[in-house]
Amino acid sequence: MFWSVTLDLLKGFGMTLELFALTLLFALPLGLIICFGTMNRLGFTVRGKRICPISSLCKVFVWIIRGTPLMLQLIVIYYGPGLIGIGLLPRLTAVLIAFAINYACYFSEIYRGGIESIPQGQYEAGQVLGMTKSQTFFHVVLLQVIKRIVPPMGNEIITLVKDTSLARVIAVYEIIWTAQSYAKMHGLIWPMFYTGAFYLIFSALLTFLFGRLEKKLSYFKA
Amino acid sequence: MAILQVENLHKSYGKNEVLRGISFSMEEGEVLSIIGSSGSGKTTTLRCLTQLEHADSGIITVAGKRVFDPVGGMKLTKEEQRFNQLQFGMVFQQFNLFPQYTVLENVTLASKLHAKERGDYKANKKQIISEIEERAYDLLSRVGLSEKTGSYPCQLSGGQQQRVAIARALAMQPKILCFDEPTSALDPELTGEVLKVISSLAEQHTTMIIVTHEMSFARDVSDRILFMEKGQIAGDGTPEYVFGEGATDRMKAFIGAVANG
Ligand SMILES: Nc1ncnc2c1ncn2[C@@H]1O[C@H](COP(=O)(O)OP(=O)(O)OP(=O)(O)O)[C@@H](O)[C@H]1O
Ligand SMILES: [Mg+2]
Repeated sequence: MFWSVTLDLLKGFGMTLELFALTLLFALPLGLIICFGTMNRLGFTVRGKRICPISSLCKVFVWIIRGTPLMLQLIVIYYGPGLIGIGLLPRLTAVLIAFAINYACYFSEIYRGGIESIPQGQYEAGQVLGMTKSQTFFHVVLLQVIKRIVPPMGNEIITLVKDTSLARVIAVYEIIWTAQSYAKMHGLIWPMFYTGAFYLIFSALLTFLFGRLEKKLSYFKA
Repeated sequence: MAILQVENLHKSYGKNEVLRGISFSMEEGEVLSIIGSSGSGKTTTLRCLTQLEHADSGIITVAGKRVFDPVGGMKLTKEEQRFNQLQFGMVFQQFNLFPQYTVLENVTLASKLHAKERGDYKANKKQIISEIEERAYDLLSRVGLSEKTGSYPCQLSGGQQQRVAIARALAMQPKILCFDEPTSALDPELTGEVLKVISSLAEQHTTMIIVTHEMSFARDVSDRILFMEKGQIAGDGTPEYVFGEGATDRMKAFIGAVANG
């Protein structure tokens, strides 16, 4: 019994990992795009006030996503298209869209904080040494930004591991859903408790990796 | 021929007119110090020269070549702008070293990036890199940091960091080296080592513009002093003249205020 539960949960956890990996794959770059959007200075000046439509739009979007529960976003993306007659998205697609957008918004704010925390003097030093803007960004600024965002990104990414369990509300068969089916069909509750071990081991692994990365970047202060 | 000629530089931030017609010229090998009270526009002047700030109008000419003249309709490509920028070196009050690079890498980074754009880079890579590094070692020994080439900025004192910044600026072989209060961010016991390096550069006739609040240093090291007040040059001459017979009441009040801390 224990082994068959373990195998089943492992299968469920496989889906959990798939959700986790695919969400990161899409959210990491999408976050960068949103970040550049919110920092975009394109716009016009009205009576001394600078108005940047792209930036404002991105900020409102980030506000909505960060201001509502991920669970709600998931339900809207899964059931919303049906309401306006487009038809349902496949479950996994809906989950990935909701997760990727949600996490991209959180990542974008972390990226932005990292980029804005680099002192102007670093850019100016690059400029007076005749470096191009992109040389300054890639050779001077980028690693400092990475160093600064590693700890908050680590937190966010570990949160994502646990958030994947929300996918079960639209019946994506990840690990919690699998354990739940044991409770429903066999009246067994311990598989549910057992899932905790999977999460713990995986987040311990991530914590370890992020710790290593932080340590690797600790040779300089920025 | 003057190495640098500045004509009628104007700069405003909104309604705040910060530079109100700055004009001066200097010869090769000359050391010029700019003094003046806080907010008089010293930093802004340097930033306009080094193109970190875009002046509203005025003409800047380096070694006979016009590098800045927005009103005269001068339009430069990005390449030309970068080239012109490299005529000036800049040493910042806050050092602005690159924290993730060693002392040596700080000095060589820009040169190496520039070298990659050279046509013969691929063919002579080894030799080009070793020349760049040799020059960096040489500069670092001139600022007394031969022992520290492998250290990271966070492992150095402020005085050492500023000396690295000087070597880094020199590595680009600028025609004119600018300093913006190079010792103001340093503990008093560390200013001496930086001023000594600047003095030794002066002895070797490096063309320099130094914004400083260190009056006795300015007096000793400079061939010429500009006294700035409210965005204008209110005094211009040898240290003897500016501190002596040429001193206006404002200048005397300013020197008195600086002397009393
Ligand atoms: N980026 C900026 N935006 C708006 N105003 C500025 C800016 N930079 C400088 N100023 C203003 O320009 C004036 C001159 O500043 P500047 O930094 O050139 O003075 P300074 O002579 O270097 O003073 P200090 O001795 O304090 O360094 C000040 O009134 C300052 O508030
Ligand atoms: Mg200043």
